Amino acid sequence: MTKEQAKHIIKIAIKTGRVMLKNGAETYRVEDTVTRMAQSKGLQDVNVFVIPTGIMFSADVMGETYTVLERVYPEGIDLESISRANEFSRKFTGNQIDTAEAYQFLEALNQPPKFKKWVRILASGMGGGFFVFLFGGSLFEFVLAYFASAFTVLFTDALATKHLNFFIKNILGGFFASLFGVICILITRALNLDASLNMVIIGPLMTLVPGVSLTNGIRDLISGELLAGSAKMMEALFIAIALAFGVGIVLQLSIHLL
Amino acid sequence: MALITQGIYSFLSVVGFSVLFNLPRKLIIAASISGMIGWLVYYTFQMQDTNFIIPAFMGSIAVGIVGEILAIYKKQPATLFTIPGIIPFVPGYGIYDTMRFVVEKDFNRAMTKGGESLFIAISIACGIVLATSFIRMMRPYIEKTLFSASK
Repeated sequence: MTKEQAKHIIKIAIKTGRVMLKNGAETYRVEDTVTRMAQSKGLQDVNVFVIPTGIMFSADVMGETYTVLERVYPEGIDLESISRANEFSRKFTGNQIDTAEAYQFLEALNQPPKFKKWVRILASGMGGGFFVFLFGGSLFEFVLAYFASAFTVLFTDALATKHLNFFIKNILGGFFASLFGVICILITRALNLDASLNMVIIGPLMTLVPGVSLTNGIRDLISGELLAGSAKMMEALFIAIALAFGVGIVLQLSIHLL
Repeated sequence: MALITQGIYSFLSVVGFSVLFNLPRKLIIAASISGMIGWLVYYTFQMQDTNFIIPAFMGSIAVGIVGEILAIYKKQPATLFTIPGIIPFVPGYGIYDTMRFVVEKDFNRAMTKGGESLFIAISIACGIVLATSFIRMMRPYIEKTLFSASK
């Protein structure tokens, strides 16, 4: 193996790890994948250290230590990308593809197929709406929560393309989720119908709350990844605080209306 | 009867969240089944009037076991099934309640709810980890049964 080849292998391994980490894979899985991809091609002394915002890699290339630092910006959960990256790494370690092909696969990894927009919006209504039933809500509250969730996801999707700080993004998310809820309740009051505000807000909010980050963070802590786990839990905490800000503003303003 | 309707609601809810998480199409049904089983276990234990930790713990063990078996069967990472699967009992409502009580300046209840949510999250994580390590141990045996049955 020449130096040039080793560099290509390291680059491919790191970029695969980046795709996985960016789309919400657990840190131990990323470490495992990158290590395995590098070792399968005969690199020695491979050390990989992953935190939710970066990958550090070091390996021995022809007697010299080669170190790479890759900064990663998490973008939320995209399971299709994780599945594809996993498949790709399996093929790569099994020596089924060469370097040139691997670069093509990597290109494709960065453009995963997505659901059509209207499917996504309808499904998000379903996701948030059926929660109301799980918490014992009525059919009418389900319909309201369905529309509120769909609007919230429509809104946060539009926000995702703007380069905003995650804290601001979540404040706006919480603000609009509860705003849609309050508007729905005001309309029902005007029509002399009855629905609980909590039920209507929890649906759209469920698409935003950091339950999965919180659980994944604790999972990392349990498996001994103390740094990665703490980072994820802090992320979850600050998303929750941001949502509380947004929801709090609306609840405070609407207290006289309801 | 309640079990059937709860099962249907949780199934559809997990389908919705699977699309939000951009799960590969051919895995959506499988992931939703793991979520449904998890919620039914959670619901059954919740009916027993035990404390708030046991239902989430048992539910996540169920999700973990079903998710890992599906992962072996479909040759995919288990995360694809456990992330949508735990969604129904992730403490989203608890986090919302915490925020609401803080807004209402009711810090006692906010702390109670916040602590409760944290412990539910811990018990979910524990359940998943426990199920994962258990299935890892049993893996050769499960592979043998799964793939000899399908041949």
